[in-house]
Amino acid sequence: MFIYEKKLQYPVKIKNTNPKLASVIISQYGGPDGELGASLRYLSQRYAMPYPELKGLLTDIGTEELGHLEMIGAIVHQLTRSLTDDQIRTAGFDTYFVDRTTGVYPTAASGFPYSAASMAVKGDVIADLSEDMAAEQKARVTYDNILRLSDDPDVNDVIRFLREREVVHFQRFGEAMRLAKDKLDQKNVYYINPAFDKP
Amino acid sequence: MYSDNGTTPRGCPDANGLMPSCAPLAVPYVPFQQEGSQKYDQTEALANGTLFPGLNLPFHVKVKGGDLPRTASAELQALQFVIVELGLYLDTHQDDQEAFALFQKYAALAEEGKRRYEAMYGPLTQMAAAKDAAYQWLNDPWPWEYDQKGAGK
Repeated sequence: MFIYEKKLQYPVKIKNTNPKLASVIISQYGGPDGELGASLRYLSQRYAMPYPELKGLLTDIGTEELGHLEMIGAIVHQLTRSLTDDQIRTAGFDTYFVDRTTGVYPTAASGFPYSAASMAVKGDVIADLSEDMAAEQKARVTYDNILRLSDDPDVNDVIRFLREREVVHFQRFGEAMRLAKDKLDQKNVYYINPAFDKP
Repeated sequence: MYSDNGTTPRGCPDANGLMPSCAPLAVPYVPFQQEGSQKYDQTEALANGTLFPGLNLPFHVKVKGGDLPRTASAELQALQFVIVELGLYLDTHQDDQEAFALFQKYAALAEEGKRRYEAMYGPLTQMAAAKDAAYQWLNDPWPWEYDQKGAGK
């Protein structure tokens, strides 16, 4: 089960509102490489995993991603608090505002609502871990792109942190792949799918 | 800048890891992080987003940052961050005794930090709310709220 802790993983204190920036950052809330998809991917993949270190790692990273989802929600919320009438007309934010006011909704920056089609659960150890490594890289690039688009130091400080977590998670999934392969047929790691076949 | 907590002699520089010799074809490889890697202290770890200098690989745009407030909240965040980071490391390095000892040390520090924080600012979990004379779980601010007043928190 999950128990809520009333704090963020990393401080989010955005002094200046900026609805246009919020309309870009929302993509890491509900976009194709966002934190919601990351968390759901890992927490869903773990059921088929045959090895304890994979069950553990997917549980622990999937849980951390939920904390990141909360941080992105906090950034979007703080960037859109107490908006003026002029600010809600900001190009790029007005289309979000008309549907959601200043509620935080899981959507891509493009306006496409969160879709589980952006992630995969294949039920195969090597396929799922390969997906996870790619997912961490795609999230890392999205944070790179946010850093290119944002001039707000309060926001960038948090984005830097989240981006570095993707790098660390990539390393751990890569190591998990090695641990899994060590348990497979060394002459042919594709001989069976250990998440389904009995060795 | 950081202390080397490593006790295990390492074969490669800190930002490099171990690869299998004669690795089989057609499978992806990430070098294994070596035991005894250098580590930041908890404040620098939180500021950089990783405990390990060898894994700290920032983007070229807006590299600067990580000026964390010296507050009870940031102190607890730093301690708990090291536990998360070491936890993931231990998931793939479960036999690293030195890392496990550090994990235990930080877990004890974080317990203490949590007690200090809750005494000052109220319960971190709903269950912890039972320890107070009145129900304080609902008190503002919630973590996502911008709280200039509580900037010292």
